[in-house]
Amino acid sequence: MTKEQRLKKRHNAEKRFRFYGLASIFFALLFVLILVHNIFSKGSSAFMKTAINVEVFYDKDLLELEPGASEEDILEADFFDITIESLLKVYPAKNMDEEDALIELFTTDAEIEIKKAFLNNKNLIGKKINLEITASDDIDQLHKGNYPRDLPEDRRRISNFQLEIYDVLVENKTITKNFNNYFFKNGDSRDPEIAGIGGALVGSFYSILICLLLAFPVAVLASIYLEEFAPKNKITDFIEININNLAAVPSIVYGLLALQILLATIQLPRSTPLVAGITLALMTLPRIIIPCRASLKAVPPSIREGALAVGASKFQSVFHHVVPLALPGTLSGTIIGLAQALGETAPLILIGMVAFVVDIPSTPIDPSSSLPVQVYLWSESAERGFVEKTSATIMMLLSFLIVMNFLAVYLRQKFEKRWN
Amino acid sequence: MNNVKIKSKNLNVYYGEKQALFDVNLDLNEKEVTALIGPSGCGKSTFIRCINRMNDVIDICKVSGNIEIDGVEINDKNLDVVSLRERVGMVFQKPNPFPKSIYDNISYGPKIHGKGETKSELDEIVENSLKKAALWEEVKDRLDEPGTGLSGGQQQRLCIARAISVNPEVILMDEPCSALDPIATAKIEELIDELKKTYTIVIVTHSMAQAVRVSQKTGFFHLGKLIEVGKTEKIFKNPDNKMTQDYITGRFG
Repeated sequence: MTKEQRLKKRHNAEKRFRFYGLASIFFALLFVLILVHNIFSKGSSAFMKTAINVEVFYDKDLLELEPGASEEDILEADFFDITIESLLKVYPAKNMDEEDALIELFTTDAEIEIKKAFLNNKNLIGKKINLEITASDDIDQLHKGNYPRDLPEDRRRISNFQLEIYDVLVENKTITKNFNNYFFKNGDSRDPEIAGIGGALVGSFYSILICLLLAFPVAVLASIYLEEFAPKNKITDFIEININNLAAVPSIVYGLLALQILLATIQLPRSTPLVAGITLALMTLPRIIIPCRASLKAVPPSIREGALAVGASKFQSVFHHVVPLALPGTLSGTIIGLAQALGETAPLILIGMVAFVVDIPSTPIDPSSSLPVQVYLWSESAERGFVEKTSATIMMLLSFLIVMNFLAVYLRQKFEKRWN
Repeated sequence: MNNVKIKSKNLNVYYGEKQALFDVNLDLNEKEVTALIGPSGCGKSTFIRCINRMNDVIDICKVSGNIEIDGVEINDKNLDVVSLRERVGMVFQKPNPFPKSIYDNISYGPKIHGKGETKSELDEIVENSLKKAALWEEVKDRLDEPGTGLSGGQQQRLCIARAISVNPEVILMDEPCSALDPIATAKIEELIDELKKTYTIVIVTHSMAQAVRVSQKTGFFHLGKLIEVGKTEKIFKNPDNKMTQDYITGRFG
């Protein structure tokens, strides 16, 4: 082979490599794009909810309330009758079946919404007010264009009569789309129109908080000890191998462990963020120790020697110099570990977090859900409304993960000290 | 001739199975510069790291024999290395300032030893140390800037100032100029000349010219053995040993 031929071959090899690299990046981006598009196109409509404008008359006699009634009286009062009265005024129904069909257009929580509006303004007694009452899941989906109305009536959940009412409502502009605050503040529900991720958000928050409080100090101290103080011998080698192995143990195994030890033996309360936090902490521990040790190892030995040479003790050289320098890496490792824990589903299912919990937990020992488990729960539900809710929950989860990862990168870049 | 400050007797050092120093007997005089020369891996650095017990950091390193400073044995398990290192400062081959401000680099040592209780005392120590290291004029207006932002030569003088800050008796220098350009090297050498009035200095160097310029006494190491030691003039003009002769004339090394 001549020199020119060899040179040409080397250049060609480089060009080929560049092409393969670009192609891989293109494919990776393509898949991300497909994923994001799929989630956004399905999920973005969940942030809006459909409501129907209804004139509510707070009839004194039907409510059996006097002006200036106490809060307790109002809470006990029956708003069912005025709810039905108000809803039936939306469209003239000729018989009982049609009345039922009309009422089905509204959420099952219509009575609660009417009661809440009254609690906010107790002077409404004997007065009329226009309220935006949340529409039922079926109408919500129809209004968002997710429901095929050209199916034959017997295969549709919405009857022809209901479609007729809907069309009139659209024409009168009494049906509106508003921001869906229920999605953020409500707990889970069997009815998609009022189901929210409030409970899952709080549950995830508590779980991650407990995970952080348990895993971070233990992981940091373990890393500092192993990296700086422990003698390098067969025992520490063995510990290191085991930590690396633990980081690769499937998360469901931690779930089984927690089921056996935390729930069956110690009898901690089932389905709670407390147990979830402990389980996630066990799982996250090795995943924090590894980056933590790496960042300690990255601090040049000359810094340690410099400190020792002016008479710092081992402890002082580590805590005055090495740890502060390793902190950005440690923090970003911790955040990434927590981000993984936030998205973890399998162990939480095993410790019973998959239970249907309507109430928003007020403490870490109340039964609760979590974001990824909520995704799992809703993805199995039959109602159309849960499809968009599933995707919207994934969007929330992803945005938390992205924020956490950006935070990790930011911390690392902002506080990382450079030396030559 | 000055008094003997540091005395090593039958010093042997092992890195695991490998022996790095063989029965080194070397006396270092007070307020004098002793240069240690020899080819790479001959044990010069290992020797000076015994004087402030920096070899303790290396797990596999074992030191046997005696080293005395002012007649007190320092190669003793019960000895507090922290107070030893307060008395024996060290400057490394590569400048290694802490990634902190110039002020914090100097004040760190005094702080941990409880010197300079008040801010003004610390300020004074920082100023004096930087003056002694001939760096004060260059950095006095930017003491809060990071030490790592200085030039290589300035960083090394900062490290010397850091070593001086705890007021040691001995300063060990492990090839302090090997990462510096000739101008920075000249400055450090001038500085060493000045410092020897106050401190006992041991310098490891690869530059024969530097050894001649700065030292009063020179020791030649080869393969872990101290081959010859004597007045610098004598070693470079009229060495007793053939190997020393060969090394200083550049026939090997």
